[in-house]
Amino acid sequence: MTLHKHWKGIALFLLPVGVMYVTFFIYPLGYVFVVSLTDYRGFGAMEFVGLANFRRIFGMTNFQFGLRNNLIWALSLGFGQVALAALVAMILARKPPFWRFLRTAYFLPNVISQVAIAMLWYTIYRESFGLLNTTLRAMGLDHLALNWLGNLSTALPAVILQQLLYIGYFMIILLAGVMSIPRSLYESAEIDGANVFQQEVFITIPMVKDIAVVAMTLAMAFGIRHFEATFLLTGGGPANRTMTLGILLHRNLHAANYGRASAISAVLIIVGALIIGLTRHLLTTRSAIEDVKQ
Amino acid sequence: MSGQVATVSPHDSVRLGGHRTPRVVLAKAAKWSVLALFLIVTLFPLLWLLLQTFKTNAEFVMNPLALPSGFHYQNYVDAVQISGLPRLLMNSVIVSSASTAINMLICSMGAFVFARERFKGQQLIVTIILAGVLVPIIALMLPYYRIIRGLGLFDSLAGLTLVYVAINIPISTFLLQGFMKSIPFEMEEAGVIDGCNFWQRYWLIVLPLSKLGIVTAGTFVFLFSWNEFVYALLLTASFTTRTLQLGIRDFQGQFFTNYTGMYAAITLSIIPSVIVYVFFHERIISGLTSGALKT
Repeated sequence: MTLHKHWKGIALFLLPVGVMYVTFFIYPLGYVFVVSLTDYRGFGAMEFVGLANFRRIFGMTNFQFGLRNNLIWALSLGFGQVALAALVAMILARKPPFWRFLRTAYFLPNVISQVAIAMLWYTIYRESFGLLNTTLRAMGLDHLALNWLGNLSTALPAVILQQLLYIGYFMIILLAGVMSIPRSLYESAEIDGANVFQQEVFITIPMVKDIAVVAMTLAMAFGIRHFEATFLLTGGGPANRTMTLGILLHRNLHAANYGRASAISAVLIIVGALIIGLTRHLLTTRSAIEDVKQ
Repeated sequence: MSGQVATVSPHDSVRLGGHRTPRVVLAKAAKWSVLALFLIVTLFPLLWLLLQTFKTNAEFVMNPLALPSGFHYQNYVDAVQISGLPRLLMNSVIVSSASTAINMLICSMGAFVFARERFKGQQLIVTIILAGVLVPIIALMLPYYRIIRGLGLFDSLAGLTLVYVAINIPISTFLLQGFMKSIPFEMEEAGVIDGCNFWQRYWLIVLPLSKLGIVTAGTFVFLFSWNEFVYALLLTASFTTRTLQLGIRDFQGQFFTNYTGMYAAITLSIIPSVIVYVFFHERIISGLTSGALKT
């Protein structure tokens, strides 16, 4: 509509959201990077220490585990969860009986809090009276019954699995993409003699790629910011095997190691940006910014 | 074949034209196995949890797989008494409702400007705000803690509300401005001719037409605030400001070996989310769908 005439209105309307965004996004991002270069402990003056905090954390075992696990989380969700979601989306897009019900049912766990879901899975994984172990024992497979969350090799897969299996969020996004593909493409492929499998591989996958990359980006962002289930199920143990940077950040914050906590935050932000940027760079020609724009 | 299929979804033609070769049967079996597997993974743990709440604790400990012998509602009485659920629920309702209302107000004002006006630097501002979706919010624990302490809002529902309003700005702005862009300009132009000022164009014309978009974005904000854990943990300390999600974490200590009582408490904590989902699932799905197709 008209220009300039409404500049007062425009400024007034943007003021609340602008103030909030600057206070809670822009200032905090700057804060984290500045404080990560100091030895700040919450009071007194900030002493500039260069990259000492970064050198320090990269030498810590729990940080190394945390960084490794965050990458595993991001890749498991970005590739594993999105792939499973894509498989289900491709099936549902062909509108099998009950597809609407299935779509609604698959998404249900996504509206339940991560905390409640983690508690639910604790009742599944726990050593005694746990659903998984009692089922195994009932089937005579006693030797397979484990302390799933306390075992060094099963703890991380167990925690990741309880999130990975809930594909609803990305399934909905991908389903929208698959359903927006023109039907005529499938019709002509069918006339040409392509079977269902070939249609999916040669039509659906290339056509839905851009949306799949958006889903992967979001999934990786979720993996990088993962906190709840690990905090509640294992607290990062056993022996750091499920440690994440979020948990480590929380610990350092409570110990008032603000410089170190900020360095962990900075790594979290940089690694998140790198892994998302790299994936998008490899899989698309469009930039992330263009996607966020409309 | 194609003439026959024209009125049906072309996808169905695969079924209509399908030959009953072993390969087709196998593909069908594989398809339904995948769908069934995910249905089981999705619903079975929840149903199992629900079943346990109707057992006595002794029954559960004897055999966690057996069906309940009768309908024992005592667990729910225990759950409410032991966990202090009413207080937790009230705090969560206050924080989630306030966050949603304030977020909708400020984001719809911003989205109105982004969708209905043109000015210099607009695209840059919109891009910066929307890019907030990708910021790993937990990395901002320390600054949020310091800001909320600095404002004197530590351990208050107001502090938590402020943070939830802020965190949801990118997603709400994205959904609302997308929705507002799809509203035709004619009514607004008629309004301007009738003498509507800037505020009236927003309040009397665009906002009422954006109801559906507000409901969609509002559902996302409400569910986020209702389910949020990390910042509730960080920014509150006392029982009077504890939200539901923090309460759930304490169940283990409160119920100790009263497993079925704890399961009843977890079940009660899940019910509000399920109710919201039952009423608003169309909106949630359409929000995610429109988001996917716009990018």
